[in-house]
Amino acid sequence: MATIASEFQAHGAGDAHAHDDHHEHKPSFFARWFMSTNHKDIGTLYLIFAIMAGIIGGAISGLMRAELAHPGIQYLGHIANFLGIKDASFDQQLHLWNVLITAHGLIMVFFMVMPAMIGGFGNWFVPIMIGAPDMAFPRMNNISFWLTVAGFCSLMLSAFVPGGTGNGAGIGWTAYAPLSTSGSQGPAVDFAIFSLHLAGAGSIMGAINFITTIFNMRAPGMTLHKMPLFVWSVLVTAFLLLLALPVLAAAITMLITDRNFHTTFFDPAGGGDPILFQHLFWFFGHPEVYIMILPGFGIISQIISTFSKKPVFGYLGMAYAMVAIGVVGFVVWAHHMYTTGLSEDVKMYFTTATMVIAVPTGIKIFSWIATMWGGSISFKSPMVWAIGFIFLFTVGGVTGVELANGGLDDNLQDTYYVVAHFHYVLSLGAVTALFAGFYYWFPKMSGRWHSEFLAHLHFWVFFVGVNMLFFPMHFLGQQGMPRRMPDYTPALAYWNHFASVGYMVMASSMVIFFVNIAYAFIAGKKAEGNYWGEGATTLEWTLSSPPPFHQFETLPVISDSDHH
Amino acid sequence: MVVTPIPAGRNARVGLMALTFAVGMTGMGYAAVPLYRMFCQATGFGGTPRRASEATAAGVRVVAGRKMSIRFDANVDPGMKWAFHPEATTQTVAIGARSIAFFTAENTTDHDITGAASYNIAPDEAARYFTKVQCFCFTRQTLRPHEKVRMPVTYYVDPKLLDDPEVNTLQQITLSYTFHPVEAGPKG
Amino acid sequence: MTLGEVIGVAKRCMLSFGTPAALLWVPAMASAADTGGHLTADHFAIAPGGYTPMAPTPGKGMPVDAGLTFQAQYSPTGIEALWMHDHIVLWILIAVCVFVAGLLLWVIARYNKHANPVPTKTSHNTLLEVIWTGIPVLILLVVFVPSMKLLAHQYKSPPANALTVKATGNQWYWSYSYPDNGGFEVTSNILPPEEAKKRGEPVQLAADNRMVVPVGEAIRMQTFGADVIHSFAVPSLWFKLDAVPGRINEKVLTINEPGVYYGQCSELCGARHGYMPIVVEALPRPQFNAWVMTHSGAKIDGAPKTADVPKAADAKPAEAAAPAAAASGV
Repeated sequence: MATIASEFQAHGAGDAHAHDDHHEHKPSFFARWFMSTNHKDIGTLYLIFAIMAGIIGGAISGLMRAELAHPGIQYLGHIANFLGIKDASFDQQLHLWNVLITAHGLIMVFFMVMPAMIGGFGNWFVPIMIGAPDMAFPRMNNISFWLTVAGFCSLMLSAFVPGGTGNGAGIGWTAYAPLSTSGSQGPAVDFAIFSLHLAGAGSIMGAINFITTIFNMRAPGMTLHKMPLFVWSVLVTAFLLLLALPVLAAAITMLITDRNFHTTFFDPAGGGDPILFQHLFWFFGHPEVYIMILPGFGIISQIISTFSKKPVFGYLGMAYAMVAIGVVGFVVWAHHMYTTGLSEDVKMYFTTATMVIAVPTGIKIFSWIATMWGGSISFKSPMVWAIGFIFLFTVGGVTGVELANGGLDDNLQDTYYVVAHFHYVLSLGAVTALFAGFYYWFPKMSGRWHSEFLAHLHFWVFFVGVNMLFFPMHFLGQQGMPRRMPDYTPALAYWNHFASVGYMVMASSMVIFFVNIAYAFIAGKKAEGNYWGEGATTLEWTLSSPPPFHQFETLPVISDSDHH
Repeated sequence: MVVTPIPAGRNARVGLMALTFAVGMTGMGYAAVPLYRMFCQATGFGGTPRRASEATAAGVRVVAGRKMSIRFDANVDPGMKWAFHPEATTQTVAIGARSIAFFTAENTTDHDITGAASYNIAPDEAARYFTKVQCFCFTRQTLRPHEKVRMPVTYYVDPKLLDDPEVNTLQQITLSYTFHPVEAGPKG
Repeated sequence: MTLGEVIGVAKRCMLSFGTPAALLWVPAMASAADTGGHLTADHFAIAPGGYTPMAPTPGKGMPVDAGLTFQAQYSPTGIEALWMHDHIVLWILIAVCVFVAGLLLWVIARYNKHANPVPTKTSHNTLLEVIWTGIPVLILLVVFVPSMKLLAHQYKSPPANALTVKATGNQWYWSYSYPDNGGFEVTSNILPPEEAKKRGEPVQLAADNRMVVPVGEAIRMQTFGADVIHSFAVPSLWFKLDAVPGRINEKVLTINEPGVYYGQCSELCGARHGYMPIVVEALPRPQFNAWVMTHSGAKIDGAPKTADVPKAADAKPAEAAAPAAAASGV
């Protein structure tokens, strides 16, 4: 694709000029940021929102690690006091713990990873990478974003209204009935569920937008099989969203009616079944974890290719491995429910189907390494993050093979081993991919350079911190520590304390991150159009940094000579 | 370089198709409720026992010499003031033979209480062979203050169980009931 | 052919495929589960001296300080599962991670821009792609066969006369009922930290009353949820089964040796979710019988009727011990 880049270098310069022309047409501050219909502005809004949500979600995990640093309950009373409950009873403090774990899970899933991956990078780069001027439905794009913000507000609000034993929704991000129905009186749970409705509606609209954009608005010559892998990953993700989120919406609407309107979908008293909620939830919930990681796969593919100065190895295999992961992801949901009393046959089926996912995942890992093989690798910060991703995701993936086994899972289900597993694939996998993408595209989006030194430093401190934080959780889980516990037996104190120290290391790496952003805006050098050089071949590198307010008013044409 | 205008109609069409998809999946989410129930009844999934008519039950072949132990388990919702117990904890029956078991329920309060029973079979795998002919759980039950009643359930174990390698060595099946308080009403 | 038959046939094929694979040896299941059917006189023996709660063995049936791996296992399926983890899965996990890390280090060393200034343009190699699809499939088969066997063993049904214990999860305590022993029920609440320390039991895991069961026998373990979903879990027995409202769940539990085994509720169930421990005490049959007889209206499981058991004489020591049990129990 090097040919295209050079072909459009001139065009990019022209656009920079066009950018100036359009400058006066740029809307006022309020109209630009609150009524935005520009995919790049909306992408920026999503990224800022995700960073803010990440700060809150990360601070909550800090409170959790502080409480778990030593046996006994030390801080929950103070936190309750801070949140306005004076002299919280012991039960209210414990309820607050459940509120914290619920909020941490919901924020990180729905308001940090998803908005950053799909809303942020997806909005910014999918239209550019396929040579489109904008998303197919720019106004709907705006609605998607503000629905997500409204959802977040609803979730925050839920923490200050009664939710049963204390204020807030203490139902876990999984919101299992009947704890989330008859088990939690008060409006907090309704607010929390409503926040998922809003965020879900926003995401469904986003999915419709991406599907239409990718199907209809590709530049001439940009066939499906020439699309960059990041676009492929967002396309597969959009289909997962479209199939999975409505099922969640239906399930949580049933929760709302069970709570408020005397229906009995999940209440055995009226012929309902609480297990049905789990089936519906995980029919959404398992694809959801792929929704969070697939765009990360796409980002990593772009980065590895760029810095190895090679096209992605096995492009078609990579694209269809993502499709396969998406498809298989819909038929493995009950591996989250191994201990609910499934029969032998059902457990055998889900064990088998779940292990199958290791195959397409393996294809991706090996293809990334094969892309590097024979390359001429430069270790710029995004590449270091991407290599870190491959390793951390592998560690998270192999423990998935262990958990996939219904027989082994009888001990590990709902323990810290599961917590370690999904943080390795999400907190270390998806988040590492997010930072890789951030350093890869930040100068493109802002027009200014971050400090490469700080970006490397951020990586190393983060890498050490998260491994200290999450690796001991494998030990805790195997020792039998259940998840969602505010306290534990003293024998588990050593590794819990170790993990809490790891949290501090990780948190300090975040300070480096914010210092780096501040540095970029205050003193960062101006970035040129294609600052990564010859390896960067996708269409965003043909534009200036930042790209013009409206790009590709003349559509680029992708030549036939281009191949992956 | 050619400017290719994108017809707005095409976007609307794909967008609408995607939207229809999403709405369809929401519908599927709701359809899952009756489908799940039907699936459970058809396969015994979730420990759902079968139901059979008197006529079907009469036509079932009794396997002499093959016995099955049946355990009865009774529960009441925490808020419901009923004493509810099986008259016998276990019963041993010939496979295919129709048998009757009794539960006793007593309203320990001074006001009427109506209850509806939920039930399941353990282990799950045996549910598709456990067949109820008549059961108090098919309708709502109202007990007057301090009223005590015997509640019968007529059932048989389907001899097809012996052909299923999954369960043909099974020696005991548990039938569990839970009574929940409901508003008195005509609904069955 | 019904769905069940199709699955059944498929499963038999899988299991018979696994049988000749000698490398997939698994430790023999304890035979205790198979001896059911006939009760011997020993079954009804009642140990003199009644019941005193057993002191836990430090490190047995509970987490150990800074422990790195699973708790030692005391049930046949637990031993099999731990064997599978230790000898098959763990090594595969480590091998995959080391292999990927090794490849990464190699490409970093060999293909950095100083060592390899001119990149190749290779982007396809069908053979390579087939290999890295095929080898993971083979590795998964190695995990697949013992995991199916393990599942089959976990679902082995107990004999008709196996002791039945029903654990009911309540917000926020467990209660254990013994329908075969006259139907008495034991309520089990967490011990306050000072009390646990005083009794030499692990803080946060100790309970006032335990679920006492006989050792070496297949027990029909049933779980039930009174209000919300709870989960009955004992890590050292490799046992976890959800307690769901309005629905009974069942699984076989066999404990190989006497001891005290600790667990915790493992499904989020509200405020005091972290404060409803599970304590299983496994005793030889005569001692278990003695514990049973400390409850009013109790009988030994398998005895025809409460009245038929020559209870008066045998129950004497048990009754004498009852105050002691009550004193230490509540």
